[in-house]
Amino acid sequence: MKNKAVIDILPLACVGLLLVVMMIMTAPMVMSHNNTPVNVPQTNTAERKVEEDIIITLTKEGALYLNDQPINRSELEEKLEDLVDRDQYCLVVVRADKDVFHKEVLDLLAIAKQAGATRIACATKKKKG
Amino acid sequence: MRKKRIHHEVKKEGLILTSIVDIALALVIGFIVALPFFFETGIFVSQPSVTKAAPGRETDVKVNILLTNDGNIVLNDERIISKESLTTLLPKLLARSVSKRVIVSSEEKVRYDDVVQILDLAKQSGAANLCLLRQRKK
Repeated sequence: MKNKAVIDILPLACVGLLLVVMMIMTAPMVMSHNNTPVNVPQTNTAERKVEEDIIITLTKEGALYLNDQPINRSELEEKLEDLVDRDQYCLVVVRADKDVFHKEVLDLLAIAKQAGATRIACATKKKKG
Repeated sequence: MRKKRIHHEVKKEGLILTSIVDIALALVIGFIVALPFFFETGIFVSQPSVTKAAPGRETDVKVNILLTNDGNIVLNDERIISKESLTTLLPKLLARSVSKRVIVSSEEKVRYDDVVQILDLAKQSGAANLCLLRQRKK
């Protein structure tokens, strides 16, 4: 009787599955810059965005982050200008903690505007229920 | 005479991969469906870029909301109203407005969350343009 050669696809399936699991776990971290923990305000009306953008995060303690990288206020203006120069229509999202003063958020909006950003948004979370 | 070899045919039991492939496919689909939810949502705002407004007659119904440090809401620089009455008043004002613009300003010690709640309320009431106004230092 002739021996039939069979390709064992079990390891292939295992590797494929592993890759899928790894992709699921890493994709949100790679694709978004929302990893700095901030308690953003909750709203009923909110628009979902699915585009790569510039995220400015302001924590309750007053720490500033640009795309999850800590930054100080003077550096922010320069770096933001560079980023906006690359893509003038990019979306600048301000992720501020709900407990900060609104004045501080306005300062960030002004910096974004001065840097040349034309599309600015404030990050919120949709209320459940 | 040569002896006939007796072959014992052993049935090879293969692993059924259908279920594993099904699970992988379900995970991929779940991942694709869930991905947009990882992203946060937001409200688009525009900040007035002019420092001085051009003089002219304004005939449109204006909706200017000021939030004060002590938690009051001042509508159109005239009267202090509660959040409940703002909820009922805002849709009526915006229905009469052509530009449907709501300008929100706040005093120094107002929390960001309070302003966002007003913006949210304005948007629910039918505002098309939301503007954040910075108060000039006195």
